[in-house]
Amino acid sequence: MRILLHIALKSLLNRRITILLTVVSLTLSISLFLSIDTLRSGAKKSFFGNVKSGDLVLGAKSGEIQLILYSLFQIGSPTNNISWQSYQTFSKHPEVSWTIPISLGDSHKQFRVMGTNNNYFKYFNYRKNQNLEFSQGEKLNNIFDVVIGSDVQKSLNYNLQDNIIIAHGISSQSLHDEFPFKVTGILEKTGTAADRLVIVSLEALEAIHKDWKTGIKLPSKKESRTNLLNEKLDPKEITAAIVKIKSPIKIFKIQREINNFELEPLQAVIPGIALSKLWQIVSVTENIMLSISSMVIFTSLIGLITILYSNLNSRRHEMALLRIVGASPKNIFSLLLFESLIISLFSIIIAILLKQLLSLIFFPILDKNFGIYLEKQFLSIKDIYFLTLVLFSSIIVSIFPAFQAYKNSINDGI
Amino acid sequence: MSKIGNILEIEKLYFNWKTNNSFALDINNLILKINKKVVLLGESGSGKSTLLNLISGIIEPERGKIYINGTLISSLSKRQKDSFRNENLGVIFQRFNILDYLSPLSNILLPFYFSSLNKDNINYYKNRAFILAERLDINKSLLFQTNSKDLSVGQQQRIAIIRALINSPKIIIADEPTSSLDYKNKEKFLSLLFQICNQEGISLLMVTHDSTITKHFDDTLILENLNKKYENTSSHSS
Repeated sequence: MRILLHIALKSLLNRRITILLTVVSLTLSISLFLSIDTLRSGAKKSFFGNVKSGDLVLGAKSGEIQLILYSLFQIGSPTNNISWQSYQTFSKHPEVSWTIPISLGDSHKQFRVMGTNNNYFKYFNYRKNQNLEFSQGEKLNNIFDVVIGSDVQKSLNYNLQDNIIIAHGISSQSLHDEFPFKVTGILEKTGTAADRLVIVSLEALEAIHKDWKTGIKLPSKKESRTNLLNEKLDPKEITAAIVKIKSPIKIFKIQREINNFELEPLQAVIPGIALSKLWQIVSVTENIMLSISSMVIFTSLIGLITILYSNLNSRRHEMALLRIVGASPKNIFSLLLFESLIISLFSIIIAILLKQLLSLIFFPILDKNFGIYLEKQFLSIKDIYFLTLVLFSSIIVSIFPAFQAYKNSINDGI
Repeated sequence: MSKIGNILEIEKLYFNWKTNNSFALDINNLILKINKKVVLLGESGSGKSTLLNLISGIIEPERGKIYINGTLISSLSKRQKDSFRNENLGVIFQRFNILDYLSPLSNILLPFYFSSLNKDNINYYKNRAFILAERLDINKSLLFQTNSKDLSVGQQQRIAIIRALINSPKIIIADEPTSSLDYKNKEKFLSLLFQICNQEGISLLMVTHDSTITKHFDDTLILENLNKKYENTSSHSS
C-alpha cells in the first residue's frame, strides 16, 4: 500500500506538466462549483435571515410578497397603512407574545427611515436567532433619537451625537429640517435590511408630520419641539407589524383571525412561506448555475480519464517492469486508482484554499456593493458531501483506465 | 516430478500467442541444474522473451510443466505465482529498466516491497542492498539520489543486478542484458554477474542472440533447436 502510494506520487511528479494541467482544470471546476454554491447559499441565508423574527407580518390587504418586501426588506412602497387601533387590537391579543410596529415613508439620503419602538431592538433577530447588537451607543431613549444601521454609518460616516435631517417621502427634496435627530446608536453589521435603516421612534414620526397633510407641509402651523414633547404622540396609523405568537400551533388561527378582521381589511402573512414562493422564482437561475458548474466538473473528470488513458500506452513498459519485480495485476490496478485519487485530492485541497482566498477578496466587495452578506465558513456540510462525491466520482471514472492497465499487465508479459 | 539438483525443469511445453498464429513454442525438455550458468541463444522473434514469460509465470502455457526449484508453476494460483516469482526469481532486462523517477535504492527494494516478506525487516534488506552495492563498486550515497535519471549505463547495470539479487533468488533470468553494450562493458558486466552468482550460489539462465558470449557459460542452448515448431530437431539439455 505504502509503496504503491510512493510510486504513484513519484510517477505523477515525473509527469508533472500534464498532471499539473489536469489538476488546474479540476481545481478550477471544483472552485467554481464551491463558489457558486457559497454565493447561492449565502444569498439565500442573507435573504431568509431577514425573516427570523416573528411568526406573522401584519399589514394592509395587498400581495403577500409585496407586504413582505416592503415591511421586512424595505423594498418598494406600501399600498396602504393600517390603523393604530387595529394594530393595538392584535398587539394586545392574549395569544400574541410581542409585536414590532413598522412605519415607513420617509428617507434620509439614499436610506429608508423606519419608525418603530424599542421592541425592534429587543426582539428583532436574524439568521441563527442573533439579536441586534450596538457597535456604539444604545436604543431610542428620547423622542428625537435615531439609531442607524452599519451601512448607513459607513456610507455617510456618521458618529454618535451627529445630527440627521429626515426628508419627507422617498427621494424627496422636502426636509423635516425643523426637527433634527441625534444619532444615539449605531448597529453592528447584520447582513440584513437593518444595516441600511435609519430607525426612529413612532412618536417622532408622528411629531414631525403634525403640520403635514397628504404629503404637503401646511404653512399655517408651526410646531415647536417643546410643545411637541408635551403632547400625546400616539401614531394614527402604521405600515405593518411583525407579530410573534406565543404558541406555534396558534399561528394559523391568528392568521385567520387577522384575515377575517371586520373593522379593517387586514392581511397576515407567514414570512417564511411567502419568501419561499419568491425564492422559487429565483431558484431557476440558481439551478441553472449549479447545473453548468456540475457539467464543468464532469468535463474535468473526463479530462482526467483522457490523461490516464493516453498515458497507458507510454507506460506499458513501466507496468511490465513492476509486474516482473513482483507487482500483481491488482497492484497495477490500485496504482492507477491511487494516481487518480492523488490528483483529485490535490485538486480538492487547492480548490478549498482557492475558495478561502476568493472569499477573503470578494466577500467584502459583495457585502459593500450588493448587500449580500456572506458568512466566512471554512467548509459547510454540503461542501464536504460534494467534495466526497467528486472524490468518489474520480475513483469511479478511473476504474476504466485502471482496468485497462490491469488487462495489459496480464497480457503484455516482460 | 522434477529431479533433485535441477533448479529449472521444463517438460513438453507448448504455447502460442492467440494474436500470432504463425508462432508457437513447443519445447520437449529443458533442464538447468543448480548453480549452473546457461546461455540460451536465439534469433530475434524465436520466442526467447516468451519463454522467459512462461518460466516466470507471467503467461500460462497451453500444455506442459515448468518446475522451478521443485515447484510446479502451473499448480500455483495467480497470487502465489506473483509471490513465488518475487521470492525465487531475479530478472535482468535488456535495458536494465530502472524506474528513473524512483531513487536507486527504491528501485532495488521494489522486489522486497512487492513480496510477502515481513516488512519489518526492511533494514535487513537495505543493509543487503548496501553490501551488494559495495561488492559491485557502487557508492552508498548514489543509492540515495532523489531519482535515477542521471545514472550511467554502467551504474544502471549494477543497480539492475542488485535489484535482481535483493530477495536472494534461487535463479536469475536475464533477457539480453548485454545487447546494447560494447565489448569491454559486456565483459565487465558478465564478470560482475558471474562473480555475484558464484558468491550467492545462484543459477543463471541468460537468453541472447549474441553468440560471442557463450564461452563464459557452463552450457549453451539454442532455442531454434529446442523448439519443435521452429525446426524439427530434438531438444538439448544441460
